[in-house]
Amino acid sequence: MNTDDINLAYKIRHALNDTLDELPASTTERLAAARAQALARKKADAKVAPQQTTQHKPTQRRPSFALSGFAAVFSTPWAARAVAVVPLVAMVAGLVGVYQHQQEQRVAELAELDAAVLSDDLPLTAYTDHGFNAYLVQQQQNLQQPQRAQ
Amino acid sequence: MATDKELNDFLEGVERRAFKQAAYAVRKDEAALDIVQDAMIKLAEKYGDKPAAELPMLFQRILQTTILDYFRREKVRNTWISLFGGLGRREDDDEDFDILESYEAEEGTTVAESSADQVERAETLRLIEEEIQKLPTRQREAFLMRYWQDMDVAETAEAMGCSEGSVKTHCSRATHALAKALEAKGIKL
Repeated sequence: MNTDDINLAYKIRHALNDTLDELPASTTERLAAARAQALARKKADAKVAPQQTTQHKPTQRRPSFALSGFAAVFSTPWAARAVAVVPLVAMVAGLVGVYQHQQEQRVAELAELDAAVLSDDLPLTAYTDHGFNAYLVQQQQNLQQPQRAQ
Repeated sequence: MATDKELNDFLEGVERRAFKQAAYAVRKDEAALDIVQDAMIKLAEKYGDKPAAELPMLFQRILQTTILDYFRREKVRNTWISLFGGLGRREDDDEDFDILESYEAEEGTTVAESSADQVERAETLRLIEEEIQKLPTRQREAFLMRYWQDMDVAETAEAMGCSEGSVKTHCSRATHALAKALEAKGIKL
């Protein structure tokens, strides 16, 4: 960047700084409150840590944060996260179980069918023979006719 | 390790700029305040024991991540709203909200300037902010960190998670874009 660009950047910075003085009181108050809240939750060194955590616990809730309930789940320790993950793991395990069971059933059905075909008296080629099919139909009709006559 | 006073001084010095920075990105004051509050708390909770010199870079990194999280949540929320869009109207729909309305309300307080000067100055500031909002996100981040937050190239690169060369490129493009836009609007700084 040349000097003109840098000058412009610093002039813009100056203009932006002017806007900071004109922030409404409600905004500056809210920022100050947020700062106080942050300081109350400051990560302390080992010596004062227990005292601070107990002292500031009641004021630790963040007001008006859009998804505080949802966010709280993910800002808690790993144990709380694990609780949230358990239903997901159970669902995935269930789906895998159902898939396995269905696969086994399908294989068993196919095996049963194959066994029935292979152990039949008729050879497999008989089912593709049109003449044999016609013979079977005729046989069936012959069987039905005497039954009607009676 | 930063003392309570150092952390307080740092946050006090940076909070207004952080608020504006978030407001340029999300364009909603309330959301920007929530983001800054969240970033401050995260900094204090997780990095309160870091040296004071590291705080600016850490805070910027947290602020950018929190802004990104906001957009992610908005995306999810908008998906649900569009799915159930026919069931009711949004009451908090403030598309027409102008971030600078609040500044205009404060105008009468400056007695040193004439009314014409005040209006002209406010208008110039409004146009500058408008052009900054229009910048691509990464360019705006780099520009504001480098020239408004007083961070050097290395700190900016670390906060943005990119190379120093990228920071220089983003800054240069942002400055050129701003210069061109302001010139087109007849603003001379």
